[in-house]
Amino acid sequence: MLDQAFEALKKYDYGTPISELQAIEDAVVASHTDAAVRQDLEKRLIAALDSGISRDAKDYVCRKVAMIGSPAAVPVLSKLAASEENSHLARHALERIPGPEAAAALATAATQLTGKLKIGAIASIGARRETAGVASLAPFLKDADPAVVRSAALSLGTIGGAEAAAVLQPAIQSATGDKTALIDSLLQCAESLLNSKKTAEAKAIYESLSGDQQPRLIRLAATRGLLACGAKAVES
Amino acid sequence: MFRRSVSFLMLLALCAIPRIAGADASSDLVEQIVKLLSNPDREFRAAGLEKVRTSAKGAAQTQAFAAQLPKLDDSARAALITALGDRGDAAARPAVLEQLGSTNEDVRAAALVALGEIGSASDLAVLLKSLTSASGAEQQAARIALTRMRDATLVKTIAAESKSAGPQLRGKLIEVLAARRATGELDAIIAATTDSDGGVRTIAMNALGQIGKPDQLAAMLPGVLKAEKGRERDNAERNVAEVCKRIDNEDQRGAALISALGTIDAGQRDELMPLIGRVGGRRLIKFVADIATGDDASRRSVGIDALGKWPDASSADTLLEIASKAKDAAVRRQAFLAFVKVCANRDDRNDQQRLERMKQALKEARTTEEKIAVINRTRTAYDVESMRLVRPFLDQPEYCQAACETIVELAHQRQIRDPNKAEFDSVLDQVIKLTDNKELIERANRYKRGETWERKR
Repeated sequence: MLDQAFEALKKYDYGTPISELQAIEDAVVASHTDAAVRQDLEKRLIAALDSGISRDAKDYVCRKVAMIGSPAAVPVLSKLAASEENSHLARHALERIPGPEAAAALATAATQLTGKLKIGAIASIGARRETAGVASLAPFLKDADPAVVRSAALSLGTIGGAEAAAVLQPAIQSATGDKTALIDSLLQCAESLLNSKKTAEAKAIYESLSGDQQPRLIRLAATRGLLACGAKAVES
Repeated sequence: MFRRSVSFLMLLALCAIPRIAGADASSDLVEQIVKLLSNPDREFRAAGLEKVRTSAKGAAQTQAFAAQLPKLDDSARAALITALGDRGDAAARPAVLEQLGSTNEDVRAAALVALGEIGSASDLAVLLKSLTSASGAEQQAARIALTRMRDATLVKTIAAESKSAGPQLRGKLIEVLAARRATGELDAIIAATTDSDGGVRTIAMNALGQIGKPDQLAAMLPGVLKAEKGRERDNAERNVAEVCKRIDNEDQRGAALISALGTIDAGQRDELMPLIGRVGGRRLIKFVADIATGDDASRRSVGIDALGKWPDASSADTLLEIASKAKDAAVRRQAFLAFVKVCANRDDRNDQQRLERMKQALKEARTTEEKIAVINRTRTAYDVESMRLVRPFLDQPEYCQAACETIVELAHQRQIRDPNKAEFDSVLDQVIKLTDNKELIERANRYKRGETWERKR
């Protein structure tokens, strides 16, 4: 059955009934409790990604690799991440594969790629929500392209925590253009600190954004944050 | 011994540290919130009010917030009172009570509503007084407070008060009982259905319509009989029908109503025939049809009227039979018009089924009046065929106005107008030429332009 499904995958394209690939779906579920089966299935999926199957078939395989993939799948996914057609689903898998290999592949992609693909890679680093990603994102805050800066800022906000905040704060000070994304992300960092009971650090961030020189909506958000800090302090 | 005492004192001190720290944190938060309450920016105030509702628990903190009330302008004060009410701490009650003396209506209304959350039975007098005050906002606020107040004895007190209060207050109190779904006090509400004041009777019937149980059907009927014919009687019948609907089984529903009718003096029972019509059901059709076709001429009219008020078209065949066999012109007229009325009911049937009934009625109609009635009621069958059925009557002067009105009403239904736009545009042009009614002309023009029209109330 599984062999038939992999045969069907070779001809799979937009509009083909997904039921033809049902055996692959079943194998993905079955491999959940069996490492050997999972490894074998991953090998076959990687081989399929490296073959000449259609764009839709590659997208399908990327979705499955996102569920069961290991560092072994990173090289082939890195190649696809550089292709306009498959980048999105390849990154979808790289965002979910555990281990430093996938994170490193995204960091490399973010440095080497350009345009929308670069922005996508930066967003994927954030999606992994690893503090280790902060170091690879920091340089992009100084990029000449505002879209790259914005994407890096939003990723840092998604990661959150003191490390991301420490990178964002000086960037806000030195930024000359629109600071909205940077400040939004800093507020997100403060919120994540508050949620992890680091009230003092969160409060310091909110205080830095509550001054009269800040736009009204930022002050309002900071005020709400300060109140939340106050309430948290009472609770603890 | 000395060393042990020192250790004990140190332990005591360590235990006290978090409590002091907690108290400091709380007073910091209160200070933060208080500062925001007087902020000129509404959204900053809202941030503070949100915390008044949910944070810094404790009577002292509540009093600290309440102490700000005299320092605020009216709008901010009303908002803080509302937040204190939502906070639900009775420690704010004295400060809120003071605000009832405010010169601003919004502040007074907010204070009344807040009493619903933080007040007690001892505030009943002030709330009852406000229920009949001159200000609509305060009346509404007092009603909300009495509906929300959590006090086990309150419902009994309100029911008792409703018996001795004047008509205006009595009506309001019954409304409160209904809103609180006070099913334990239905006796007080039932007593009010035969009140000497029509307003109180209507409110009591409405209350029973909301919370009455089938067990109370017999007790509601004297209220229907006491209701003045016309709007009040209609309303009373509708509410009894609502209570009947709480019996799911159609036959049981009919049986319950027939049994309740048995408790009414036979001489008055016929007056309740229209009510039977409103309740409907197979069992009741037979009951009423026997009266409508019986030997007693005076009772026939009552029976036909009841069949004409049927909630669906199930009495249609019975009515048509009565109309067809009638020897008396008045009986024929009454039965036929009632037949057309029930055929046009927007019940569970679809529009095609309704239209078929209208076609049948048109065939059976004998007089101009009967045909006009059919043309008029055809507007309830939302189908392009309804328009096609009525259109030929535009050329006959005696039916022209009725046809114009029905065509415009059908054109109001976008779902039949849009797919047949060319045909509707053409017939609406005809209507515009034929009618003198300015409103119909305006509506016809609007529909031609693809616009809608808001029905005047």
